Amino acid sequence: MKITVIASAAAAIILLGIAAANAHHGWGSYDAPNPVTVEGSISESNYQNPHATIKVKAPDKEWTITLAPTSRMASRGATAEKIAVGNKVAAYGYPSKVQPNEMRAESITFEGNTYQLR
Amino acid sequence: MESGSGLLGAIEQSWLGVAARESVWLYPSANVGHILGLMILAGSIALIDARLLGAFREMAPGPFLRVGRRFAIAGLLTMLLTGSVLFAAEATHVSANLIFQTKLALIGTALANVLLFELFVARQVRIGIAGVTMPVAARLSAALSLGLWLGVATAGRLIAYF
Repeated sequence: MKITVIASAAAAIILLGIAAANAHHGWGSYDAPNPVTVEGSISESNYQNPHATIKVKAPDKEWTITLAPTSRMASRGATAEKIAVGNKVAAYGYPSKVQPNEMRAESITFEGNTYQLR
Repeated sequence: MESGSGLLGAIEQSWLGVAARESVWLYPSANVGHILGLMILAGSIALIDARLLGAFREMAPGPFLRVGRRFAIAGLLTMLLTGSVLFAAEATHVSANLIFQTKLALIGTALANVLLFELFVARQVRIGIAGVTMPVAARLSAALSLGLWLGVATAGRLIAYF
């Protein structure tokens, strides 16, 4: 009986450990060793939870850029007005290994100010 | 936000779905509440199952289970309430997630296990006195319960990674 409880607890810890090893959720599926900077004008903006997202028209293609939860966006100064449609931004981050044209932004730059999103 | 069609799309466009996405505090609060609910649910279930498997024999199983069950139900209701907020925010996305589907199946199986226990095993357990070894069916049900709910918790944490 004791063994059952201990074994179950150990199994849970191992599984949660695997989850924690990804550091932040979803980052495992992003190409961290090959960061990119996407520059262009915002064609779509969703200032919402669990993550804000924008679409940016870059010269080569239109990127979907995943940002941060709105509470963090606000506390870092990256308010909804700064990622409004039509604004020119540069997003530095990691392209998705799963979804083409999608990236996760580490930071975004708007009018010379850089906002860290991690 | 690209919304799905049908029922899932309707859930996303409902006031709850909109509020979950637009409000700064609702989604994070539901997220925190979901984990607090999990602590209460998993903690009480672990104690109940440990008792059925033979721990804390000095305590009579009837009252022990009755108290434990109150906490388990409170935890489960908290999780359902907060979980619906998290779900409504991105119903289409989450529903397509294999880990989420696995989690729902595990919850269904775990609740079926509770029902079977209540129907066929609980009576025997309740009349038991302190120190008595639980019937095999009770121990089996408890081991199954422990595994299933740990699976539910694990799957829940893993949804965001896949």
